[in-house]
Amino acid sequence: MSSFRHVCIQLIRALLILWGAFTVTFFLLQMMPGDAVMVRFMDPELGLSPEQIEAMRVLYSGSSSPVFQYFHTILRMLHGDFGYSVQLGVPVRTLIEAALPVTLRLAVVGFILSLVWTLLIAIGASLLPARPLRQIFQAIPGFWSAIPLYWSGIFIIQVLSFKLRLLPVVGVGPWEGTILPALAVSLPIAAPQAKLLLQQIEETERLPFVMAIRTKGASQRSVFFRHILPNSVTPCLTMAGISFGELIAGAIVTETIFGLNGLGRLTRDAVSGQDVAVLQAVVMIGATGFVAANLVVDLLIPLINPSLRSSAGWKETSGS
Amino acid sequence: MPVPAASPLRSLPAGLFALICALSMPGAEGHSQNRTITYLDPQEHTNLYPPAGGFYPNGGILSQITDRLTWQDPTTLEIRPWLATDWSMNEDDTEYTFHIRPGVTFSDGSPLDARAVAQNYQTYGKGNPALHFPVSEAISNFDRAEVIDPLTVRFHFTHPAPGFLQATSVLGSGIVSPGTLQRSFDELGTATNIIGSGPFVVSADIPGKEVDLSARKDYNWGPENRPARAKTDQIKILVVPEDSIRVGALLAGQADIIRQVEAYDEEQIRHAGYSLHAPSTRGVNTGIAFRPDNPLVADIRVRKALLHGTDRQEIVTVLYSENYPLARSVLSSKAAGFVDLSEKLKFDPVLAGQLLDSAGWRRGENGLRYKDGHPLRLGIHISLPHPQNKTMLELVAQQWRRLGVELDIMSGSAAGVLLDNLDPQRTPLTVSEVGRADPDVLKSEFFPKNRDALLQKGGQSNKVQHFQDETLNAMLLDIASRTDRAERLKQVVAVQEYLIDKAYDIPLFEEPQVYATSPNLTGLGFEAVGRPVFQNVELNRP
Repeated sequence: MSSFRHVCIQLIRALLILWGAFTVTFFLLQMMPGDAVMVRFMDPELGLSPEQIEAMRVLYSGSSSPVFQYFHTILRMLHGDFGYSVQLGVPVRTLIEAALPVTLRLAVVGFILSLVWTLLIAIGASLLPARPLRQIFQAIPGFWSAIPLYWSGIFIIQVLSFKLRLLPVVGVGPWEGTILPALAVSLPIAAPQAKLLLQQIEETERLPFVMAIRTKGASQRSVFFRHILPNSVTPCLTMAGISFGELIAGAIVTETIFGLNGLGRLTRDAVSGQDVAVLQAVVMIGATGFVAANLVVDLLIPLINPSLRSSAGWKETSGS
Repeated sequence: MPVPAASPLRSLPAGLFALICALSMPGAEGHSQNRTITYLDPQEHTNLYPPAGGFYPNGGILSQITDRLTWQDPTTLEIRPWLATDWSMNEDDTEYTFHIRPGVTFSDGSPLDARAVAQNYQTYGKGNPALHFPVSEAISNFDRAEVIDPLTVRFHFTHPAPGFLQATSVLGSGIVSPGTLQRSFDELGTATNIIGSGPFVVSADIPGKEVDLSARKDYNWGPENRPARAKTDQIKILVVPEDSIRVGALLAGQADIIRQVEAYDEEQIRHAGYSLHAPSTRGVNTGIAFRPDNPLVADIRVRKALLHGTDRQEIVTVLYSENYPLARSVLSSKAAGFVDLSEKLKFDPVLAGQLLDSAGWRRGENGLRYKDGHPLRLGIHISLPHPQNKTMLELVAQQWRRLGVELDIMSGSAAGVLLDNLDPQRTPLTVSEVGRADPDVLKSEFFPKNRDALLQKGGQSNKVQHFQDETLNAMLLDIASRTDRAERLKQVVAVQEYLIDKAYDIPLFEEPQVYATSPNLTGLGFEAVGRPVFQNVELNRP
């Protein structure tokens, strides 16, 4: 019963956050100097006179007040209608339908890869027999987080695609085209996760119960996998949730380098063109990604870490 | 990192590599004749309403899928027949009559006749507020279009329009089907919605990523240099924003044609045996224009000092290549009516210093010049569409610094830049350039109701206090309405001289659009302002 209540509260909180995000962006975008109509029609390539530009603005926005537009936009969005991009002359829905799968593919593959790296680093840094080898693994997170994505992306393309010709970067299918960018994006995502996990492992190792188990003669490997790792992953999962949200919100640099038409690129172009309809839709998708990822993490953590089950009313259901 | 010589770790990636290679390049050698040709553009297309075709990515698509009434020979700049077999105009250029070629159809099967042409020009000349269509920059003084018979159309103008014949040849005047113009402006960003009569048809448009073109097999109404159907069946236009990736993809055989090669990549491409193409955009050269409404540059001595204090040759030599000829006037040397003004554009730092001294700008302790306690500090926004614009401005800033003048290089959001560029107090300088192969281009750039590069009172900006140059405006109007070609070109020469004599603009170089192609590709053509034409493109066996 109370676990149901817990889920409900989390859901309501998520919806409130989304509504807040919408409202704040709506009014912030209204306050920006200039607008999409200006950017589109003042484009010197069109060579319009000031009167013609003013006429266009009236045609687009009409004379309705911001408050009216606010409710109008909310209602429209609830019906799945995001309006038109003034810059590109395409329904925003079409743009999102093209961009979202690209970003999701990149986020999911990149995220899974980053988890693999994190685990491998943790295992290598804890279980490898020789101390210098363990130290190499311990140094990886710091090293990876120091590499700018811009550089590693181009390096990966130059070496794997242009020199070794393993995979083309242009004109490839959606999944083939995800491999290299996901590889690029997974490194900086893995770095802080791995760093945090290594710290946690170190702390857990010093806990008395670990010592106790060790003195009972359990092998290093079984202590690590059965006790140390499960007791160390919780903060790491929270961080993973945040980084997944970041991935959804758009890997602008990666998408630009790899020529992917994902949400990041869409956002960058919409920002530079002040394409309000597109920005509003992107913000909502980004916020939904964050909220959903955090919701999942909140609900997952008690399942993984037994010590947290007693709080938040999970005690009763934990046995079922 | 040391790796043991014959470890199994080494053979694993090698085997994997061979496997993936075998999988990813199946029979690429076998049928190169009809292989899809891949073209990489740094930017995605925006709205494809033909008058918005000036934006390069838009032009790259529109020039494949639409035809125009006339064709401008890129070498002679002469206007030749295309969709119109012949034409005539009345004495004072207020009526133009065109005879349309019979048998031309749009790709949806509907006929391209006088009615369709009239509807296109009515929209381009007058706009269509209900559907949000703006008017076309290229067409001025338009009154109405009249259908005389199914294949004859007449256009009426309120004032003489000598530039109109050339305007019928530009990309912005591409003819689209009546159905296309019944859609709203907001729907024309989807390339598949643009139905033209050109040698290619858009078969797919993935926003932000790809536009696929397929050849029309029944096409036989091209201009004289390319009358027949396209030589390649499929063209794939891909968006790849990153410069090094476009170049790398071309050299790795993943693409056949790329647009926008920066000067520093040219050597690498040439060295690998690939071809460079640098068609000129033939209009107003890339340069720095002054906004004399700002008191800092209101004094002609200050403007002249900056003109002579800019080492233009150094800019071209250091940053660019032989594809970027040094500007010898405001207009490109390949434009109609060009006059060589090199003598008036000489680099002379001593003269520049004297001019600044005489204007009352004295050097302070830090080497900068001051007047009444204010430094000579001038703002300019980076103009992203131009090659290496930021680096170029930084070099200019170094040169001006030696004169004691500070160039403040700014950047910002599109709207911020537009707003700043309308305020002469914030931007006493702006980067200027327009591509169009007609003398009208001078009016396009400098007339207050057009691009208004100098920002005059009563023009694009309401922030201008007093600056207005009636002499210049009268000359520009004269170019746009004079019917005698020789007289018109004489006026073009006069305007170029006037702009330099008043030091309103520092012309820097003639801007090309640089493309690179793989060695076994032939037939890449260009229209008069450097947009690619893929009709005769084909891949030959290496």
